Amino acid sequence: MSKFSVTFFPENISVEVEEGVSIKQAAALAGIEIKSTCGEVGTCGRCAVKVQGGKYKDLGGNISSRLRNSGHVLACRTVVEGDLTVEIPAESRLDEHQVLVGHSQEKGILVEKELDLLEGYQFNPICRTVYLELPPPTITENASDLTRLYAELRKHVDYPDIRIPLAVLQNLAVTLREADWKVSVTMACFNGSAQIVSIEAGDTRESQYAVAVDIGTTTVVAYLVKLSTGEIMGSAGTYNKQARFGDDVISRIIYVNEPNGLEQLHKAVIGTVNELIDKLTKEHGISPSSIHAVMSAGNSIMAHLFLGLTPKYIRLDPYIPTAADLPPVTAKELGLMINPEGWVFSFSALASYVGGDIVSGVLCTRMSESDEMVLFIDIGTNGEIVLGNRDFLVTCACSAGPAFEGGGITHGMRAMKGAIERLVIDPETYEVSVQTVGNGKPVGICGSGLIDCIAKLRDAGLIDRTGQFQQVSTPRYRMNEEGPEFVLVWEKDSGIDKDIVITEADIKNLIRSKGAVYAGIRSLLQMVSMDLEVIDKILIAGGFGNYLNLSDAIKIGLLPDVPEEKYEFVGNTSVKGAQLALLSREAYKDAIEIGRKMTYIELSVGNTFMDEFVSALFLPHTDLTLFPSVPV
Amino acid sequence: MAVEILREKSRASVPEVTIGATKEEGGTRTHTITVGGDSALPFHHFEGEIKNRPVVALEVQDIVPQWHENLTKYYSDVIDNPGQWAKKCVEEYGADLIYLKLNGAHPDNGNKSVEECVAVVKDVLASVGVPLIIVGCDDEQKDNELLVAVAEATAGENLLFGNAEQTNYKSLTAACMVHKHNIIARSPLDINICKQLNILISEMNLPLSRIIIDPTIGGLGYGIEYAYSILERARLGALQGDKMLSMPVIATVGYESWRTKEATLSEEENPSWGDAEERGILWETTCATALLQAGVNILLMRHPKSVALVKKHIDDLMVSNNY
Repeated sequence: MSKFSVTFFPENISVEVEEGVSIKQAAALAGIEIKSTCGEVGTCGRCAVKVQGGKYKDLGGNISSRLRNSGHVLACRTVVEGDLTVEIPAESRLDEHQVLVGHSQEKGILVEKELDLLEGYQFNPICRTVYLELPPPTITENASDLTRLYAELRKHVDYPDIRIPLAVLQNLAVTLREADWKVSVTMACFNGSAQIVSIEAGDTRESQYAVAVDIGTTTVVAYLVKLSTGEIMGSAGTYNKQARFGDDVISRIIYVNEPNGLEQLHKAVIGTVNELIDKLTKEHGISPSSIHAVMSAGNSIMAHLFLGLTPKYIRLDPYIPTAADLPPVTAKELGLMINPEGWVFSFSALASYVGGDIVSGVLCTRMSESDEMVLFIDIGTNGEIVLGNRDFLVTCACSAGPAFEGGGITHGMRAMKGAIERLVIDPETYEVSVQTVGNGKPVGICGSGLIDCIAKLRDAGLIDRTGQFQQVSTPRYRMNEEGPEFVLVWEKDSGIDKDIVITEADIKNLIRSKGAVYAGIRSLLQMVSMDLEVIDKILIAGGFGNYLNLSDAIKIGLLPDVPEEKYEFVGNTSVKGAQLALLSREAYKDAIEIGRKMTYIELSVGNTFMDEFVSALFLPHTDLTLFPSVPV
Repeated sequence: MAVEILREKSRASVPEVTIGATKEEGGTRTHTITVGGDSALPFHHFEGEIKNRPVVALEVQDIVPQWHENLTKYYSDVIDNPGQWAKKCVEEYGADLIYLKLNGAHPDNGNKSVEECVAVVKDVLASVGVPLIIVGCDDEQKDNELLVAVAEATAGENLLFGNAEQTNYKSLTAACMVHKHNIIARSPLDINICKQLNILISEMNLPLSRIIIDPTIGGLGYGIEYAYSILERARLGALQGDKMLSMPVIATVGYESWRTKEATLSEEENPSWGDAEERGILWETTCATALLQAGVNILLMRHPKSVALVKKHIDDLMVSNNY
């Protein structure tokens, strides 16, 4: 096969490729990343490039006529047939912060893997809207409005049991007549019945929504999902307002004993979710009443508090939750600011400290259908770990604390614009260069930045293996009232009106967090008498931002020292699983099944976990042989 | 058919640490003391070599200590003279080593100056020929200043200095490196911290053969079983080749024993417990002999009669039981 040269401008880089290779592939060889969200099938139209000269074949695809007329083609659907010169416009380039899919070029950096959520499931949302044109009543065909509605509705849904709430029924007569008998009926379908949630005039099938929520101990994330297509309209995240009542689940449970404690906690989380819904509806110009369902996933304590159930007895022997399978409730009962008749679903909890969030994670990663042995690690305030495959699933939880979500860290923050996500420290001069999310001025450090930070401080010899600072002479190292700290970004370069620092206390905090996660992994493996070698794949979930610096995560002893190829970073699987359950009723049923299939292992029984925890409070670990790839 | 008895052979052994330096070696000691080197569980002569016998150090302080009368009466003539006190310990009571605690340097105990303390150390060195163990006053800041100065003043003597702890190991480690001494790495009854501290110290390039570990003990009746199991784990680790957990061990038996009420309560206060002094001696002796079985190499003790009993016991244990 003949070889041709492709030259890219403005870089003026040439690569030799074989005939039939796409321009996008050729660009990748030249080290230039071109945007694509459709998986290179020519539908997203983001990879438009301009061919300046040469022979090529256009396989066609979705590109605007304006661009086509100006000589643009889709890089993924255009193959090389001769020497080419190609200009790549700035808007088609992938700059680093937009990387959300695929693999990073850099070794040791894991980029979030996009999961094909619906794979294997039918698009069959838990809430659906049908458009009905009812025959108007006459003096001879004089059935009631409701009978008329049900008769027409039965042609569209096969649920024998259709229910209508009083509030909708009260407006039915007027709505039908004002709409000239043409209405859109939205129903939530579960437990064998169809619950009408709204009746609107005209065809409004394209403007119905639902929200998927991950209720984390520290952070809450919501996706606004369009019901007709399943696409995510937008996402929003914030800190859980419960944080002021305690950092971890245990302190929240203890707070329940305060006067009005439960009510305060319940209101705080409802308020947090409402705030996110408000933000999403405003951003997208939709009415809150067009949101008909909320699917929430969270650990058991969060789920209890979300529904206003007391989690008190979970902490006390014999550790019993109020409910494991949580029933759907209406939005008006909970006080969620969506359609008041809309339904709120919660993923069922599995054990006292392993909840719906992990079930959600298992659901959307398809771990319970895998032939390979998978280790799934959700790094949150309540670190949860699942090991298994299609034959078995065992799980445990370890309290890692909020450090990796930025909680309890002087300048910690969520992975949002301005958060330092990567940094480099010069071992000679101790100068620091940082990279932030969205390339904004640095305002704090997010989880991936914190992992990086510890690894780089250690590399530069600034901290010892216990996280203690070494005394070095640089203005960046100084003492504050509580102890030593290191300046990452000076005030003049930061987006806040002070220096961004990391203190020794922050570092110790992070070491405790990483120690808990690693100890959880080791303990779980010990309990089932398995070695790391038998694990084929390790999935990492958590709100780290776009990247997880794997080699640094291994270097600090957060994750086991196994080859990079075994790792996948899957992002926030809790909210993704909730989204999937909204889009597929089968998936929602499977989630309940998965919850029942998992075996929970209590780490607080016996000494294994404590032993492992203390030996993990070292960089990377007291037993250095567990980290052969980390240089001494 | 002959019965074949299984013996567990070890892959590795406890490293040897030598304390003290003679004139030829650049010091002024009459002899050196070497501990460690075991390649079997304690006194399993049939499974490996128990190379060096465990040794006993008697404690001397630079100020008159607030000890029980049953102890002080044996030192009453010398208790205000550290040099003579040390001499008595060696010549009359058979101490293999002198454990000199510079307690008077503590801000609450008179806040002796560094120079005064150095003078005490020199006096003790001049009075006895055995190697010394020198520990500070348990005030981090003062110790960092004090021990560095003492280490410098005694350079060449190859003494044993303590205590390095996880939160404060750097200055003492550096001093021991520069002035060629050995170090006691003390951890709070935690095998992981014990190992971590060894890693931290050795990462400052102090050789493993210059570290003695003090994993902290609980006295008899006060958690000795925790100490026992930690010592046991450390020894098993050492024999399996875990270098960072393999060093010889010092145990502060005298200190822990003589603060128990069982060792100090008078007969009048509790007649059924019997003679107080005999009880105290036995309490210290039992604590020491139990820990010997767990693998202690240096015993810090206080009562001369306990020392005699324990040394006799060590003699018996060192008789080979090989078959």
